[in-house]
Amino acid sequence: MKQFMKPVMAAMVLSMLTIANVYSQTSGPKLSDPEIASVAVVANQIDVDYARIAKIKSKNADVLKFAQTMSEDHTAVIKQAVALVTKLGVTPKDNAVSQKLLSDAQKTRKQLSSKSGKAFDKAYIDNEVAYHKAVINAVENLLIPQSQNAELKKLLQDVVPTLKAHLAHAEMVQKEFSKK
Amino acid sequence: MNKNLKLRRITFVYLLIIFFLYGCSTPEERAIKVPGADSVNTNAIRIMQPAGPKLHVVEIKDMKFQPESLSVKRGDTVMWLNHDIVTHCVTEEKTKAWTSSNIIANASWKLVIKNDADYFCAIHQVMKGKITVQ
Repeated sequence: MKQFMKPVMAAMVLSMLTIANVYSQTSGPKLSDPEIASVAVVANQIDVDYARIAKIKSKNADVLKFAQTMSEDHTAVIKQAVALVTKLGVTPKDNAVSQKLLSDAQKTRKQLSSKSGKAFDKAYIDNEVAYHKAVINAVENLLIPQSQNAELKKLLQDVVPTLKAHLAHAEMVQKEFSKK
Repeated sequence: MNKNLKLRRITFVYLLIIFFLYGCSTPEERAIKVPGADSVNTNAIRIMQPAGPKLHVVEIKDMKFQPESLSVKRGDTVMWLNHDIVTHCVTEEKTKAWTSSNIIANASWKLVIKNDADYFCAIHQVMKGKITVQ
């Protein structure tokens, strides 16, 4: 049995390694630490900007509270990221991922700005759910695996629970809307 | 002349070793020992601990109250300690009977427990905790 298992296990490990290798080669761009720092700051700033729009446009208490939390938490994360890159002597470097995030955010801000009342609240919360899902995916599958510096990696790992709590909070507000 | 230099060198090395060894000792070791002082302190703690109200600590970490559920005696104190980089709060959920207001990063807040409570972080409403009075 053992004799039979050995080649099977070897084949399994080999195929897993191949899949992992192919995945890492095809799963998007390669980023350096300065580029990862840029993506982290940009991604947080985008959500602070969405929150600013919500604070101006919404009259819904749940939405306003959520927007306030987004504004404060993402500002805190930016502060932490800036403190780290300053300590490491790294200058965040603009890159294709940061650019894509910014151009997508510009379109979303335009859409949000064109809406008002309940339609705005719904659009804002729907976008928060989608945006946090996308950011969690990018942090877990792109930024964390590619970051070289241990402290940068740790900061990104520490942010994931915050992002997940934000997502759960946004989904809770979204659920409330669908009941009404 | 040569002998003098040798002597100086030896003295220097000795001084270096003495400094090095001094550096290895802890401040406690360097301090003058008062006989029995240690045992008095631990005894005092041992006597005080079971009698009076207790202090329980709930750590706020990775957007969770740890432990989420805590059982205490009436009159015990619970201290919430925020290890996250974001601001949290601790608020009684059903009637908002009490709230800590903002607990910023690395800050803490204490409450003497009188009743059972379901509480949450009003800033991150998915974070919930529970205190049960035995």
